[in-house]
Amino acid sequence: MRAYPYPRPSGPVTMRVTAVRLSGPDEAREDLDTKGYSVVEQVVALGRAERSDWETARLKLSATVPAREMETKGHWSEVTVVAVLAEKATNARTVARLEPEGPANREWTGSIMLVRPDHLDRATLSVHVVATVDGVPGRIIASSERDWMVDVTADVPLRDRQLDVVTVSFARAAEWLRPFRDAPWMVDTSGRMPTVRLNTDFDGLTALVQGAGTKVESLVGEMLLSQLCTDVWTAVFHTAIGDLEIEDDGTPLLPPDWRGEVLREMLPDVVPGRSVEDALREVHARRTGDGTWAELQPRIHYAATRRAEVPKALGETVRGIERLDQEATA
Amino acid sequence: MTARPEHLPERLALLADMQAATYITEGLLTGREDVPSIALNKTTEELPVDDARFRLRRVRDLIDDVMYKVQAEERPVTAADAWLAPRLHATLRLTRREAADARLWNYLALGVAPDYVVRRHLPTTPKKDGGAPSVARARFRGVHYTQAFARLWWTAELFRNGPDYTPVVVACGNQDMLNTALRMDVVDHRPTALALVRLIEREVIRTGREANALASAVNASAATLMYDVVAQDSERDAEPLRDWIAAAEGASPVSRNALPEGPEEERAPETSVDVLTDYFEGLFADAPVRGREVVEESSAG
Amino acid sequence: MEVGEDFGPWLARQLQLTRMKQTELAEAVGVTRAAVSAWITGRAEPRTETINKIAEALKLDVGTLHTRTTDTLAGLPFTWYHRPGHADGGREFGNAAAFAFEADLEVLAREATQNSLDERRRGNEQPVRVRYTLNELTGETLARFRTAIRWDDLFPHYESAAAQDQKVGRVISAGLREMYERDRLVLLRVDDYNASGLTGDDYADGRFAAVVRRQLDSRKVDSGAGGSYGLGKATLWATSRLGLVLINSTLAEAHEGRTDRRLIGRLDLPWREVDGKPYAGPAWLGRPDAEADNVDVVRSWWADEDTVRSLHLDRESDDPGTSFLIVGAHDVASLAGARSDGDPGDDEDSLERMHRRLVQALGRNFWAAMTTGGDRQPLLEASVRTQRNGDEFLKEERVDPVIYQPARSRALQAFLGGNTVERITEVGQVAAVTVPLKVPDIEGRPGSGGEHRAVLLVTDASDADGRPNQVTAMRGNRMTVKTSRVPDLPLGTDPFQAVLLAGRAAGDGAPFAAEAEEFLRTSEPPEHNKWSQTEELRMRYSPSAHRRIAALTTATNKAVKELVAVQKEKKDSNGTGKVRKRLKVSGKAAAKGNTAVALPKLDDLDATVGADGAWQVTAEVKVPTGGDTWHMSPVAKLDVRSGPRPVVRWAELVAVSNCEVVDGVLHFAPGARRASFRGVTDVSTHTVRAALTGLVVELHTGRGDSA
Repeated sequence: MRAYPYPRPSGPVTMRVTAVRLSGPDEAREDLDTKGYSVVEQVVALGRAERSDWETARLKLSATVPAREMETKGHWSEVTVVAVLAEKATNARTVARLEPEGPANREWTGSIMLVRPDHLDRATLSVHVVATVDGVPGRIIASSERDWMVDVTADVPLRDRQLDVVTVSFARAAEWLRPFRDAPWMVDTSGRMPTVRLNTDFDGLTALVQGAGTKVESLVGEMLLSQLCTDVWTAVFHTAIGDLEIEDDGTPLLPPDWRGEVLREMLPDVVPGRSVEDALREVHARRTGDGTWAELQPRIHYAATRRAEVPKALGETVRGIERLDQEATA
Repeated sequence: MTARPEHLPERLALLADMQAATYITEGLLTGREDVPSIALNKTTEELPVDDARFRLRRVRDLIDDVMYKVQAEERPVTAADAWLAPRLHATLRLTRREAADARLWNYLALGVAPDYVVRRHLPTTPKKDGGAPSVARARFRGVHYTQAFARLWWTAELFRNGPDYTPVVVACGNQDMLNTALRMDVVDHRPTALALVRLIEREVIRTGREANALASAVNASAATLMYDVVAQDSERDAEPLRDWIAAAEGASPVSRNALPEGPEEERAPETSVDVLTDYFEGLFADAPVRGREVVEESSAG
Repeated sequence: MEVGEDFGPWLARQLQLTRMKQTELAEAVGVTRAAVSAWITGRAEPRTETINKIAEALKLDVGTLHTRTTDTLAGLPFTWYHRPGHADGGREFGNAAAFAFEADLEVLAREATQNSLDERRRGNEQPVRVRYTLNELTGETLARFRTAIRWDDLFPHYESAAAQDQKVGRVISAGLREMYERDRLVLLRVDDYNASGLTGDDYADGRFAAVVRRQLDSRKVDSGAGGSYGLGKATLWATSRLGLVLINSTLAEAHEGRTDRRLIGRLDLPWREVDGKPYAGPAWLGRPDAEADNVDVVRSWWADEDTVRSLHLDRESDDPGTSFLIVGAHDVASLAGARSDGDPGDDEDSLERMHRRLVQALGRNFWAAMTTGGDRQPLLEASVRTQRNGDEFLKEERVDPVIYQPARSRALQAFLGGNTVERITEVGQVAAVTVPLKVPDIEGRPGSGGEHRAVLLVTDASDADGRPNQVTAMRGNRMTVKTSRVPDLPLGTDPFQAVLLAGRAAGDGAPFAAEAEEFLRTSEPPEHNKWSQTEELRMRYSPSAHRRIAALTTATNKAVKELVAVQKEKKDSNGTGKVRKRLKVSGKAAAKGNTAVALPKLDDLDATVGADGAWQVTAEVKVPTGGDTWHMSPVAKLDVRSGPRPVVRWAELVAVSNCEVVDGVLHFAPGARRASFRGVTDVSTHTVRAALTGLVVELHTGRGDSA
């Protein structure tokens, strides 16, 4: 829990994107369809734009602040509300001031510009209320609880992301893949998002995991799929835990990208009952120091099978086979 | 010592982490082996755009020059960084989006200039366990503030004041400032970065410990203080950078002597930098610096 | 000057009313009986001085004789007529129609306002104006009102009815007690202006008889109507705890040559016996009808202004329309679920609550009719005010649809004003598309159908609109027929509201608007709550005609989704969609497995910076069942913008309750659910002054000095 050396209002700050205008070369303008952003998901999908050559996106925002509380308590003066658009991957940070709208100073509106070459993937958008408190100007007295995501490439405004899955012939692909020609799939965790490569040299593999074909094929496909997913989750977990940024005092930091998300998802199964930060510290300590890394493997495997829904797939397969047997004997 | 790659193609390329890892061998890290450049170039991916910025020659020429400098100078480390950072930045003319692609930096470190990475980052003292000194892996493949070339480019990007690279040179003069500040989100705010540099210029900050103490105080204070509000930056404009990139085609190689010029972006408002410089100076006066205030504290306690 | 009916018929009625014979008048005025007869038959008219004498004889002022817009008051005053018991001795307990409803102001507002809307004068483009007035009478004012309504004549009937152990009897009994014990009576008046008024004969077909005489009739005036004076009117009586409603109507079309101040009262009581005589059902307050067989039967009368005022029935203008005065209004339905929202008072007739319920009901049900757009007038204006003894108590509140249905009324407003867009690019915009309704041919009239284009409006929802993601469908009368949820919306779809305008509501330019209107009206059951198969639809069109409505619904939902729904998934270009679907990264932990362990956690933190610059912390820990075996270390850190937070050491760490501090670690008392401790930070370990940044306190498992 946090405490601050100055008073802060307790009411919530909320923010939403109300319009998005993209600008390209030669005065080209496009207003993004509201389907391109979701208040539920709090995501803006700029990849939805009709034209791909846009260079800037101006996001119109509307924020609500606990104005009445701020008025009554009276600790704060020179109140400003700012929106911050930032992306870790590009160290980009843009700040825009919002202006109060209406008499109560409850709603603040304005716009912030996203410069496309400054962004790679997903920027976060948040709102902060800044005021002079006890004679100190510029104090952050409140912030929006959940950041918006501004995704410069996605065409659907969803928070969850899918790993990339591609089909490729390992035998005829890039040279580095050829040594793996006997593997049905491979997980490459080095990109912006992990990529799963399905080896097309295995005839019918793709159709099988897609669940196409006869009943038997779809049962096998389901098992295969959960096997694949277990492999993937195990691989991404190891990548995530192996690539941690360690601070000078030895504290491992949750990575800002998909690695952090994967750890947040799987750590509660690897080290149950602890906060994610606590669990991360423990896993990192075991991996680097005290030699109990091997003892942790079953738990990582457990987390991966759970994440891959293996128990469910197995149950369904067993039931499916029984049914097939009954049909065969009937 | 690791040598200049034998095979240098015409254009820069991208090298994925997974492939990069296979070339970062013990031999390379200790400077005993070269990178198999022909094999490496078979595992690369092409850059999405084909323009003058990505002609390999332009970067390699800089490296050759800096290698010469490293051998000639007395304080090779900081001087080499201060020389190379702005010139690398002005030669590559990348957008931040392009610069966020680790594969480019992997390629520069392994495909273009492994000899430089080893020369620049190989410790002079043996390991604690008595083993041969070796370069940290992350200098070849790592996050933006540790990778040998990414850290230079990002230093130049975050500390330049519009077209002016002078603050970059100053920042490179204090390696601790570079290492600590570059990893903190606070330097994403330009007046903050420039105010830090100004304290080095004014010699308020002289040592690495002082730089670290200042950086931590600035980082902590930023948890409650919005520097962006007390010291506003000018609005970002995409156009100067676009023009600068477009001009790369006809640009002559960067001067080896004079500082190059960056994109004609608006400079940070002087008043904003002043406000933060004063504020940080106050913070620093208050901050415990390892080695500085121990005596005072113990006598007070 | 306003002139009423012809002199002859008027005079004849005055004689009937006053029970005066032609010879008596002749004598009083000093003319022959033949002269009087000639006036009555219209063969002659009296001279001016004779008129003065006639006025004197009838106890009327001369002006009235010239204008003949009211009747003489000289004869019998208005009085109560109670319908005698049936000869067969059958007993009805109260108005059968009124039993259908609990007293519910929401229902009243809906039904009464719908009637007003249906009776809106079509001749002008003006809205019908509806005003609800609550007026609480006490003391002298109440006493005067009781005198005015001839309370003494009514009381024995109420007493007898209240004595019965029937539901109606109990309601009346409670109403009487309320009035006598608390000296309080709530009147609720429903006025409409720019409406037809209660036209037509007292007994024969017409609006008047439909409301006053026949409780179960529905008289429809035009095909667009929702349900003119149908069952809905019974809600007026159901709202009165005394079963009593007084009516004053200004007519749009003259009746008996008059338009102003047509009065009648109606009381619905169960079977009762008063003074040994049985009475069945209703009673009417009126003027004895001279033409009726039974001398006691009463009819509406043309009242003078004083009478109207004494009955609290005076209207604010000459505009035609009707005022219904519900005597002893109450709102039983509001009691269900009351209190939860901090109500003022909890009586079923609390003025504040009734006022608010009326405003809300009007806003919710009539937002569409009240919405304007461009230069178009709304169909309806509504307001609610509350008085005490005629003085303002709650300010008159004009019901604003934007407050009660912000999104839907914005949608309609944009449509009426021509401000819709094809594609929504900004919050607050309204998208409009058309959806087809294939109106079938009417049976035996080939070519009478065709493709109607209904208008679908979609805009983003707000909390005030109620449940999101709904389509509200309506036709020409702009009354919500149905509100239904759009099914199968993909995740991440922003909440919206949609309005489907079909038939005449789609605008004059829409193809086959009239045909669609008729088709939809035919498919509407008496409850007006859906479009579906009805007997009439089957007969007029065809047995399969209702499928056209299902097709409209399908087309509507599809169109809505095209406008608002985000794509479900990326296009499955390489046939790996199923695999990808299983490989989602959300950052959310999987549902708790069976291995979950509950740890003690911080529940409350109180921290201040002391004069010495150290943080002084008091923290409360919530200990789950079984969690008391854990040892937790409190760790304090200074907040930073990014990166690791520097740990500060405790200068002091003491247990306050339910725990012990052993080497900086908390040991909890067995079975304790809450524990607390106090700590002071060591200033020498602060990397910055405490005032500069926040303090973060965490509980770590085991020894927590390593951070």
